[in-house]
Amino acid sequence: MDKILFLTVIVLSIFGLFMIYSSSSIWADYKFHDSFHYVKYQGLFFLVGFFVMIFISKIPYQFYYRYSNIILGFSFVLLILVLIPGIGSIRNGSRSWFGIGSFGIQPSEAAKISLIIFTSKYLSSSEDYIQSFWKGLFPILGVVLLFFGLIMLQPDLGTGMILFISIIAILFIAGADFRFFLGGGFLGIIGVIILIVIAPYRMQRITSFIDPWKDALGTGFQIIQSLYAIGPGGLLGTGYLNSIQKHFYLPEPQTDFIFSIIAEEFGVVGALFVATLFIILFYRGIVIANRTEEVFSKYLAFGILFQIIFQAIMNLMVVVGLIPVTGVTLPFLSYGGSSLLVSMASIGILLNISRNHS
Amino acid sequence: MFVGEIDKRIRILFLILLVPFILIILRVFYIQVFQYKKLNSYARDLWSRDLELEADRGKILDRNGVVLADNLTTTSLILIPNQIKNKEKVTKELASILGISFSDMKKHVYRKTSIERVHPEGRRLSYEIAEKIQKLGFDGVYLVKEAKRYYPYKDLLSHTLGYVGIDNQGLSGLELQYDAYLTGKNGAIQYFSDAHGNRLQMSDVYIAPVAGMNVNLTIDIEIQKSIEREMDNIVDMFRPDMALALVVNPKTGEILGMSSTPDFDPNQYQKYDSATLSRNLPIWASYEPGSTFKVVTMASAVEEKVVDIFKDRFYDAGKVNVDGSVLKCWKAGGHGDQTFLEVLQNSCNPGFVRLGQLLGKERLFSYIDRFGFGEKTGIDLNGEGQGIIFPLNRVGNVELATSAFGQGPSVTPIQQVMAVSAVVNGGYLYQPYVVKSISDHTNSVVKEYSKVLKRKVISSETSAIMRIALEHVVAKGGGKSAYIEGYRIGGKTGTAQKQENGTYLVNNYIMSFMAVVPSNDPEAVFYLAIDNPKNTAMLSSYTTTPIARRILLDIIEALHIPKQEGEVEKDLEWNDKVMYEVPNVVGKDFAEAKKNLVNFKIITEGEGNTVFEQSPKGGEKLEDGSSIRLFLK
Repeated sequence: MDKILFLTVIVLSIFGLFMIYSSSSIWADYKFHDSFHYVKYQGLFFLVGFFVMIFISKIPYQFYYRYSNIILGFSFVLLILVLIPGIGSIRNGSRSWFGIGSFGIQPSEAAKISLIIFTSKYLSSSEDYIQSFWKGLFPILGVVLLFFGLIMLQPDLGTGMILFISIIAILFIAGADFRFFLGGGFLGIIGVIILIVIAPYRMQRITSFIDPWKDALGTGFQIIQSLYAIGPGGLLGTGYLNSIQKHFYLPEPQTDFIFSIIAEEFGVVGALFVATLFIILFYRGIVIANRTEEVFSKYLAFGILFQIIFQAIMNLMVVVGLIPVTGVTLPFLSYGGSSLLVSMASIGILLNISRNHS
Repeated sequence: MFVGEIDKRIRILFLILLVPFILIILRVFYIQVFQYKKLNSYARDLWSRDLELEADRGKILDRNGVVLADNLTTTSLILIPNQIKNKEKVTKELASILGISFSDMKKHVYRKTSIERVHPEGRRLSYEIAEKIQKLGFDGVYLVKEAKRYYPYKDLLSHTLGYVGIDNQGLSGLELQYDAYLTGKNGAIQYFSDAHGNRLQMSDVYIAPVAGMNVNLTIDIEIQKSIEREMDNIVDMFRPDMALALVVNPKTGEILGMSSTPDFDPNQYQKYDSATLSRNLPIWASYEPGSTFKVVTMASAVEEKVVDIFKDRFYDAGKVNVDGSVLKCWKAGGHGDQTFLEVLQNSCNPGFVRLGQLLGKERLFSYIDRFGFGEKTGIDLNGEGQGIIFPLNRVGNVELATSAFGQGPSVTPIQQVMAVSAVVNGGYLYQPYVVKSISDHTNSVVKEYSKVLKRKVISSETSAIMRIALEHVVAKGGGKSAYIEGYRIGGKTGTAQKQENGTYLVNNYIMSFMAVVPSNDPEAVFYLAIDNPKNTAMLSSYTTTPIARRILLDIIEALHIPKQEGEVEKDLEWNDKVMYEVPNVVGKDFAEAKKNLVNFKIITEGEGNTVFEQSPKGGEKLEDGSSIRLFLK
């Protein structure tokens, strides 16, 4: 088992707990009269996630190969169910949750993993598929677009994009023809244009990240509040618990914008720390993917790893104002029980792959 | 596809995805280093709430540092609605303390703002009300100090000082003109708050208010008080339409005192009409000067050497005919044969007609211009008038003749005073000014104003002759009632008929007196005018000069003017007391002292035969029969 990967995930998650406490305590006290409200839930999920990760790391990954279709079907059903009012509940404008009390489960998290498992199996089952558009790529893209479409109905563009790009990345390492990517890129641009036409607010989001002050109280609001955290923090930060922006200025700072608070309290040092942990995680994942000899486990390890890293990059780039706001969380660090659970479970799969081949 | 190719592609993607991580770190570095200043100041604006601390307005002081416009500290109520917990209760309590309705108070307490001033009910609170509010001890309810303008001498110098509005903004007079200097820089207690407006537990920043700058005037409070007192007396005695007084240092143009009536109390300026508030008569009023203007005519004549006032003689038959117009002297039958010095003493109009004719209109009117008539003096006050002088092409023989004795030109008091100052100070026409300097709250001078010479009008020789001539007017002529024993005082009376729509009004005069003290080395030029006094003789020498004399005595004391030698002796009138100089008898024996003191009553103190002390001392002048106290041993 890859101990460095394991430790990196533990360090990230525990650092996450500390930062969730710092960034959420004010909100928690205001909403629940308990400044530990969020960190208690996250801590509980971390404990559960920890054992889930250990448990899953002991399940041979061939299990997923065998049951990939069932897993995919199960998550498909969940994605349909969550759209039905009364079953799925709306949080932050998206009908993307199964709410049980204050616990929530996002089926799209499970959909990402199951789709990666499905794609890995499909591509590894025949060498020919990757070379043939109609036999190989078309069915996969069909399934992916189906899932993407369901997620966009919630709507949750960020998760949809991560899911989509992760599958594309697997296709790339599997050796798909470059013409395919050119065509795909073209289609992607058309898709983006269609999405913007359907919902013009997306265009505003794109322009507002270039100059957030243009619409400081609307689309630029979040990024401005994020910059007001990062900037005044300075190179060394204001120190743990000393963030000012968490005092109701930055909305829900423990979720999407937790990195702002990290940069505010720990400066560029904190940013480097977080980035380094993700790069170590990434690197260890790459090592695992390279060392494993089966093609299925290579695809699976890389796919799992890629979607975590890609999500992290998207979140961080939003927070520092490099790309428009997409609404994705920072894996292991942002508050969110089901997200942490799924991330740790995914790492469990990676750990199992490393166990079998090192 | 070979497994090796897959591994290679995985590594390529790893390297590609390292790029965004590097970008992110560089971006954080960029934000925290290069955008730090901008974002930090924006964010501080967002976080900080200012509890404004009002700066004291600068004071206005007289030349010796006596405060004429001061500040009283009062208390005002300020609310921070977000910090108020029980709004209902706070509204109720405050409404009852302030005596306003619940709904009026509610507007303030419930307003969605970071800081709410309860205006105007919560401004300028009395001590009792402030204490009651303090005792409630509510969160979000603050009492802050505010300064209110206060004029301790009430209507003293009111037109010049002006007044301020409720926010201490200058509205008129010096308060308005020097508002930028007088206004301080407000300070603040700056604290960080969360987005809901609650105060964060971080150290507050205290930005001390910087008091406004002080404006130091050329005014001398003692002189000012004196003329204000006499203004009141004039109102009581004569019920005039207007009255005004002006005292200037002729050597610099500094205004030592200026006042007019009607005036107002700037503490309660709202109670007065706008004419009263705005008309600073000594610089605004414009009227025919009358005989005081003769000083200008005579100075011009002397300068042009058309006459030797001590030798050349003039016969006054009581009237003179100019182009068919008969111009009468004020004295029926005329003054007969007299020198031109006596023409001035007697204020003889036909004599001045002669001087005007000797000069001709070009020369006389060029001097009128050069003495500053017809143009603003440029005093550093708003609302100055400029008077009207005939354009030369409209001056005929009659206009020349009447202008020579002060009828026709319309002039302001400040123009006259500056012109007479030039006549007596050696010939220098200065620009008058009332602001001496501006100093900051630590009393260090940041700006100083000094005399501004406009031009030299006459020679110092002419000026010396005019000083003697004016002294004669007081000692022997129409200014006699202003004579002060031991001091050399020059002066000239004036009685000008008022015009309305081109015709002279009957029994409606402006009576005036211009004085110079001491006339050998003038320290002050003083002008007094009473517009349409009732219950008095229609001659300025009886109305203005006794009042002028009292003011002159105060000027002498305020400016510490020493007694002078060699004055022109006053002509005695039947009711004048004879004055004798007290001889020095200290050290003499009693019998001899007695012989020297025949004109005085002697009171002795102590026993003995030798005088070791006397009171008053030798050299002073006392009336015939006054008491002298001798100390014997």
